[in-house]
Amino acid sequence: MSIKAFDLVPAIERIKLMSDKAKTQIECFDVCGKNLYIGTNDCFVIHYNVEERPVGNGPKVVFHNEKQGHKYLAVKKPVIQIKAASALNRIMVLIDNTLSLLNMFDLEICVALKKKQIQVYTVTEDKLVHVKDVHISEPAISVGVDGSFVCAALLSQYCMINYETSHTQDLFPFDSEHSKPLIKRISKEEFLLSGPSALGMFVTSDGISQRPPLQWSENIVSMTYVHPYIVAMNDEFITVHSILDQQQKQAIPFQGGTYLGNFDGKLFVASGREIYALVPVAWEKQVQALLGDKRVTEALDLAKNANKAGLTRDKFLKIFKRFQQQAAFIEFSEGHLEEAMDLFKNSQVDVREVISLYPRLLPSNCNFTRSVPPLHEMADVNQLSRGKEDLLKEYKQFLCTYLADIKGTGTGYKQVRNRYSVVKTICRDRLPELIPLIAVDTGCDLKDSVEWLEKYKRYNALGLLYKVHGEHDKALALWVKICNSEVEDESFEGINFIIEYLANLNDHELVWKYVDWVLSKDQENGVRIFTDRPTTEPPSERMRPDTVIDYLHRFPIAVITYLEYLVFQKKLEVEKEKYHTHLAVLYLDAVLKLIKTNNVKKEEMDKARSKLRYILQMSNLYRVQLILGKAKETEMHAECAILYGKLEEHDKALRILVHKLKDFGAAENYCLVNSHGKDSSFRKRLFHILLSVLQSLPENWSVSLVSQFLNRAIRKSMNNSRTTRIERMMSRGENLQVKQNIIEIQKEFVTMNDDRMCAVCSRAFNDTAFVRYPNGVVTHVHCAKNKHICPVTGKLFSTKRS
Amino acid sequence: MATPEIKKKADLKVIILGEYSVGKTCFVNRYIEGKFGKTEATIGAAFFLKQWGPYNVAVWDTAGDERFSGLSSFYCRNAGAAILAFDLCIENTFETLKSRFVPLVDQATEDNCLKVIVGTKLDLLEPSKRKVTVDEARKYSREINPNIEYAKLKHDPYFETSSLQGINVDEVFEYIFGHCLPLSDVERIKMKNKTRGTVDLGESTAMTPEKKGGCC
Repeated sequence: MSIKAFDLVPAIERIKLMSDKAKTQIECFDVCGKNLYIGTNDCFVIHYNVEERPVGNGPKVVFHNEKQGHKYLAVKKPVIQIKAASALNRIMVLIDNTLSLLNMFDLEICVALKKKQIQVYTVTEDKLVHVKDVHISEPAISVGVDGSFVCAALLSQYCMINYETSHTQDLFPFDSEHSKPLIKRISKEEFLLSGPSALGMFVTSDGISQRPPLQWSENIVSMTYVHPYIVAMNDEFITVHSILDQQQKQAIPFQGGTYLGNFDGKLFVASGREIYALVPVAWEKQVQALLGDKRVTEALDLAKNANKAGLTRDKFLKIFKRFQQQAAFIEFSEGHLEEAMDLFKNSQVDVREVISLYPRLLPSNCNFTRSVPPLHEMADVNQLSRGKEDLLKEYKQFLCTYLADIKGTGTGYKQVRNRYSVVKTICRDRLPELIPLIAVDTGCDLKDSVEWLEKYKRYNALGLLYKVHGEHDKALALWVKICNSEVEDESFEGINFIIEYLANLNDHELVWKYVDWVLSKDQENGVRIFTDRPTTEPPSERMRPDTVIDYLHRFPIAVITYLEYLVFQKKLEVEKEKYHTHLAVLYLDAVLKLIKTNNVKKEEMDKARSKLRYILQMSNLYRVQLILGKAKETEMHAECAILYGKLEEHDKALRILVHKLKDFGAAENYCLVNSHGKDSSFRKRLFHILLSVLQSLPENWSVSLVSQFLNRAIRKSMNNSRTTRIERMMSRGENLQVKQNIIEIQKEFVTMNDDRMCAVCSRAFNDTAFVRYPNGVVTHVHCAKNKHICPVTGKLFSTKRS
Repeated sequence: MATPEIKKKADLKVIILGEYSVGKTCFVNRYIEGKFGKTEATIGAAFFLKQWGPYNVAVWDTAGDERFSGLSSFYCRNAGAAILAFDLCIENTFETLKSRFVPLVDQATEDNCLKVIVGTKLDLLEPSKRKVTVDEARKYSREINPNIEYAKLKHDPYFETSSLQGINVDEVFEYIFGHCLPLSDVERIKMKNKTRGTVDLGESTAMTPEKKGGCC
């Protein structure tokens, strides 16, 4: 599973060293901008200037070098480590347990000592300041630093040391005699260590691991990290691992490597006598290569995590989407349809690219050519399925699902004219995805789609298609046919769909055309065409209530429902009287009809009469006399009582209630209802009339006989009345108490001083008087225009007085 | 074999330990991928991320080979639960748990780390070959968890499993998550709905038979 992530390019070949002896070897080096410093085994520090120059216009580069100078440090020991500190203009050199500072450009020297324990120094231009010592159990061989954390390789193990707290945590054992301990800080609070059995171990400063280890080759001598790759080297190979999946991606043969490092994004490698650069292959190229190998997940992972230096987010997204599209087609060709679906959707691929894979699907007049460079190398799905019917069917199903899912929103979709061709494929397999697609897509060519839909008997879909194209008449005609079972399509929802459709149709002429049919089928629901019209619809002559009522005469249930709608819901302002009377008469008729028929259930009768009574009681707009005349004929006493009440003929009404119906509760209730909202004298009068019931006492009863009862009754009422009054007053007292408590709780000081400004005009208070609103806003008296409305927040305060 | 990005901090770390080739990697693969397959010897350690309701669980599969012993204790650090696996057919692997892995876990983790003993390869075990009795293993699993409140658990932390047949594998993880990351009812329902959407119908062996022995 390899990929080319880096190119090896020579940077400095055949170093010309001072002593020109064959023995001179590179021990270490550091790069800082264009400056490259080499430490040799015979104690020289050599300074080169290295520049990267492109070859032609291609991505290839060569390195041009020029020697700037050298310094012999006169210890005759190898330079172990070299480090440039550009901020200080110094390079640090470690030779024979001695750390020296050299001036970067003229290689001057100053010296400091380093001992076996871990010592932390701050380095300035001319001195090292000792910060802290941390004692450890064994001598440290190598260290890496991140913030206050020092990761150290001791003789037999690695450990993590926090030099601020001196807390030391053992990591894992390691045999430093047989392999070289390496420590590399790779990100904030994370190090990479060379572990036992040639493992690359990730360790955080907490002393745990959050990534699985890498498997390296034996005897790694140096390693570094350049996102997203770990580059490691032994004496034969440079190997590249991805930090994303911990797998090896590339191996470059390289003999005798001694050191490699990442210097501000530039990778250099040293063998004994030469220095090479590792030039990263552009991530786009790597991704492309992975895609070429159909390694989709790896490719997209790499693209997501690639070093996007120099790319704006938009640009990157554009590139990334293209990779996703390529990946989608790869998954598609591999038959991984689920993955392909997600990728097609996420990458917003031009729909035509997908459709064009299906032979003869894109209409000939659609002048679409596949994108250049091509996103894939497939000819069509026939080639992919290689004659396997199942597979081909699966691919077709895929397209249907895909088109239905994106709901006509995909890129390039609008450009697919005559999308009927797509419809055709779908018809062929009678797929349920058809209906949503048709219902949302205006792009299907009508004429051809119609033919196809008819041929495959998708009548409901055809109706929807007509609807989308605004051909309501045809759509309705078709649905009526389905309803009449002239043609069959079980996906049709039924007559209610048509009713709803008509209720929302603003072509009123057309509505009228179908009303007859609907009402004759189902007048109870059919009337919804008139009652469920959209509220925003402007009034029209054809939908005037009069017209509708006139028409509805033939349909008794419908007309009642419609009138109920007008009276109870719409509460029309004009011509109210007519509708109210009409409805009352219809209710009355219904009752009369029930009376005439025999064996009517009591419930049915009660229902009809209570409806009638409800409108008689509730409405004040109908013509009372008209109804009364009819009601009297049939001895409908309860209704008559209500009607008399409306005519203010209370004695008549009460007489009926008391004498005819003998319903005293209703009589009392009558007095209460009719006096509602009027003054108490009126109420008294009503009850007085009711008192006429006394007349119904038998003549021969003596006064003394009745008086006892009347006395008691009156006393009881008085008692009730007084008790209630006491309760009321007590409640009021309680209420006052609570209010007082609220005031106690809410009251607060208002401090008035020179700094206090009026909340309205922001000027100081010169007067002693001021206004404070309940929400704490303080203003001048003259700024408080309305004491119930806060002038700042507009909050409304109660206008009630307690 | 791409592992998911691990930038997010895991809410629970589960580590699986045990003697070389007792079937640790198969056990983890059966749980993560729902399949049984041949595996290579694990080098160092492998890592999987699993969603449990709103939580991220990091499952670390370690190498059983003794030369990686030092690393195992390092990878154990901060583990909330340890699965200690042994081969039901090989008595020795149970003894190694006692002698090597349990002390290793005790040393590297907090006291409240849940240690679950898991016997593997139940499908290969003939009753006559049984070396470690259920009672013995159960008793031991209780001994090594002195700080666990048993009231919160359904039974002792001991399971007998088969990665080949998918017996008791999910149960081990659910047992652990149920103890370490209890879900609220809402989360539980949410998760159920989520998983229902992705049932692998083609994989008939994934249909685990009802619990057989080993479970109390």
